[in-house]
Amino acid sequence: MLNRRAFTISLAASALTGPSFAQGRPFTFCSFGGAGGAAIKTAFMDPISKKMGQIANVSPTNYSKIKAMVEANAVEWDLVDTGGLFVFQGRNQNLLEKIDYSIIDVSKLPQVWVKEYGLYTFAGATVYAYNKDQMPKGREPQSWKDFWDIASFPGGRTLYSRFYYNYEAALLAAGVPLSEVYPATDEKVDLAFDKLREIKPHVKVWWTAGAQPVQLLSTGEVSMALAWSGRVLDVMKENAPVGMSYNEAIAWGEPFVVPRGTPHRDMAMQVLKYCISDEAQTAFMNLGVYGPVLPSAAAKATPEQAKTFVTHPDNMRRACVMNDEEVAKYVAKNEERWQKFLIS
Amino acid sequence: MATREYYFTSMTCGVEYATRFEILSKDNLKEIMPSAPLAGSRDRRVDRFWGSVLLLLPLAAFLLMVFVVPLAMLLKLSFGGAGGPFSAYSEIASSEVYRKVFLNTFTLAITVASCTVLLSYPTAYMLSQLSGWKRSVAFWCLFFPLWISVLVRTFSWIVILEKSGPVNRALLGMGLTSSPLSLLFNSFGVHVGMVHVLLPYALLPIFTSMKAVDRRLLLASDSLGASPLTTFGRIYFPLTLPGLSTGFVLVFLMALGFYITPAMLGAAQHMTISMLIDNFVNERLAWPLAAAASFSLLFVIVALVASANRLVNFVSAMAAR
Repeated sequence: MLNRRAFTISLAASALTGPSFAQGRPFTFCSFGGAGGAAIKTAFMDPISKKMGQIANVSPTNYSKIKAMVEANAVEWDLVDTGGLFVFQGRNQNLLEKIDYSIIDVSKLPQVWVKEYGLYTFAGATVYAYNKDQMPKGREPQSWKDFWDIASFPGGRTLYSRFYYNYEAALLAAGVPLSEVYPATDEKVDLAFDKLREIKPHVKVWWTAGAQPVQLLSTGEVSMALAWSGRVLDVMKENAPVGMSYNEAIAWGEPFVVPRGTPHRDMAMQVLKYCISDEAQTAFMNLGVYGPVLPSAAAKATPEQAKTFVTHPDNMRRACVMNDEEVAKYVAKNEERWQKFLIS
Repeated sequence: MATREYYFTSMTCGVEYATRFEILSKDNLKEIMPSAPLAGSRDRRVDRFWGSVLLLLPLAAFLLMVFVVPLAMLLKLSFGGAGGPFSAYSEIASSEVYRKVFLNTFTLAITVASCTVLLSYPTAYMLSQLSGWKRSVAFWCLFFPLWISVLVRTFSWIVILEKSGPVNRALLGMGLTSSPLSLLFNSFGVHVGMVHVLLPYALLPIFTSMKAVDRRLLLASDSLGASPLTTFGRIYFPLTLPGLSTGFVLVFLMALGFYITPAMLGAAQHMTISMLIDNFVNERLAWPLAAAASFSLLFVIVALVASANRLVNFVSAMAAR
């Protein structure tokens, strides 16, 4: 019989051996949830779990949670879907495992999607979208220059609440060529702020959640928005009077990272290896939510599909691909300046 | 008997005595007559003391575990900045941006608390006059929204107040305005959303203080020839003031920590401390900075409540009714 003392000891023991206890749980993947999370589960996680065993899919991703679990040495997530910025933020704070490229063959992948501490598995874009009813007759915006042109395209605007995306959009509006947006020098940051100051009086909302810009667009609260392509395509499917273009799209990849100290490191690498396989990438593309990172999968797109994702060669040619290492640097350097800009 | 006599003599002397009558009527004789035989022996008082300690122990232990210990850990974290123990505090104190955000937050909390109290006072009076099923229905209408998530309520305000929303359509239809008004993403939107969420917290203490007013005092004032305005200003208002100030302080303190509503309904200029802390915690992963910002806020609040307590006895106003 378990007396009180033995019970207390076993309780203390289980509290002290947290990490080994964690080994008893299934492999856990964490995504941001939503349509993206569902697509990842269907195209990546479900097929590989049939081969490798159970995978628990949880959401949403939370960076401070990753930091807390790594620092407490009690990692509960083995593979996490994050924003590109976190690959570098997490590396700087020593929260991530290196991706083991001796296990994962990335020779078929463009190098831009391969990082030491994260592997991009799919891509989306930040684009300018517009309410068709509020555009001048027979004209649709063609560039970020048009987004800044309030005289020709009147109405309110909405931009993102953080400095990234805005930096890229502002430079493109200022006429900086796609290939010269990076590296982010002090002059370019100044230019971006100048350009943003110019449009600030017309910015009604600095949005924080992806649902906001499309909501504001479809109700006509603003006439143009900087928004995530997936969200815009979603409302277009519902026949909202909304349009968008991949011209000068700000393309971003979405990386998976492995938190430091996970008991399932090897399996995480195996899962990652599957995620960038032709089979998984094609299945992901066919779900029509985001674009594949693997060119051989993107090449299989029907002409109809090609219009919907940024990584198709036709769209990629005119896109500005976000350089997350540069983004991490300019964001960290200008955090306070950005907040000052917002509240003044 | 003594009570009753006191009441009649005090009638001629106005408010001051009326309040003292209230003390008497609560049988709190000990305060007025310290030598009264009610006090009991010394042994009984000691028993009472240990009894209170025992009754408070579970709560104290609970608070120690889930409040005091985490707070201490947070305090330790706030001294863990990369540039020395006080670096996080000095970063916050020296930054023009963070000072402005603090100022923003306090201004917003004061204006929201004022609007809430102004709206609550007449509403609470109306409620205190109702009885039976009418009051039940009124309270239902008041508390039902409390069960809906703040996020949902905030989104609903966006739908109601937007450019093509029902409010603007009604105003346009009635010809009161020729172009849609901006009701969102400005000060107006933030106030509407926050007052809505916080209204019950001001209304309840005001309502209870109104229910506790002895109607006979108003009759007495009337019969002595005071105008309704004088009766209100010299009797009713002073008697309900503790409830009013409790409501104000409660709403003010809650408004200081608001996050979702100003973030969704306000403009970028309305950044509050909570938004700043969220940015430190989740986006910048700068935890010492977040902890220092939290403690700065806590410090200012404690200082404010302490000084407010000298003006209106907040604790007794909360506990008395």
